Amino acid sequence: MASANATTIIGRDTRVRARVTGASDVEVQGHLEGELTVGGEVRVTETATIAADIRARRIVVRGAVRGDLNADEAILLEEGAKVVGDVRAPRVAIAPGGLVKGYVETGHAGEGKRASHSTATRAAPAPVRHAPPAKAHAPAKAHANANANAKAHANAKAHTNAKPKGRGMTLAGGKAPPPVVPVLKKGTKAALTKRR
Amino acid sequence: MASTVIGANITIEGEVIADEDVVVQGTVRGKLSAKDGVTVESGAVVEADVSGGPMTLAGQVTGNVTSTDRVELQSGARVVGNVKAARITIADGAHFKGNVDMDV
Repeated sequence: MASANATTIIGRDTRVRARVTGASDVEVQGHLEGELTVGGEVRVTETATIAADIRARRIVVRGAVRGDLNADEAILLEEGAKVVGDVRAPRVAIAPGGLVKGYVETGHAGEGKRASHSTATRAAPAPVRHAPPAKAHAPAKAHANANANAKAHANAKAHTNAKPKGRGMTLAGGKAPPPVVPVLKKGTKAALTKRR
Repeated sequence: MASTVIGANITIEGEVIADEDVVVQGTVRGKLSAKDGVTVESGAVVEADVSGGPMTLAGQVTGNVTSTDRVELQSGARVVGNVKAARITIADGAHFKGNVDMDV
């Protein structure tokens, strides 16, 4: 049994689906799904499987993690580490035998210059994940929004061309050719009302 | 020797499912289920239904407690919820509010 300020251990035969927060160290030997945010050190052992974003002062990985790693001090990916997700810390070390798929950024404490690199993150063959990055900065958001808008436009167009539903969207999109709307209208609402 | 320890400064909101012993020194909200023993130490807060093997409760537990073995409420424990187990002991000085269901 451990003393009062001992590290938290998620044993190898334990599955946790939760948000784990706190100030102390955490060692994960088992399965964790959710979110892990602690002030101390996080150790991910060989037997661990994690599907969660991890934020900590220091992160040492020897197991499998699907999620973003953010550390205030350092991230060490040791032999046996398998990380699918972005890795950000002032210092990042990847030892031989450590596998990473995702965007790696060193030199500042987790946050900061993320905006300028967000596109690079997308370009990399990074995992298609939609876990929200903890705190995106304004520029990054703007960027994301711009992309989203572009997509929305594309979608709106696609909809109006394909299906009659998109009347509202067309109006909102603004750019879609106006004649399309009435034509499509005939296909659905108009046709229905005529029948009745 | 405990395999899973939830330390004093840690809060877990969700579910913990262990095929081994669990020791809680911090806070657990949600669900806690172990195949083996569960120990809630003094100072720990568990707001969850707890199930497992032999249990030693010395901290604060709010929720139903189900054990395949024994449940021991130690002095200083505060338990609010129903307790179901083969054997239950409540120490002098333990606070308890809830139903007790033993195999009679």
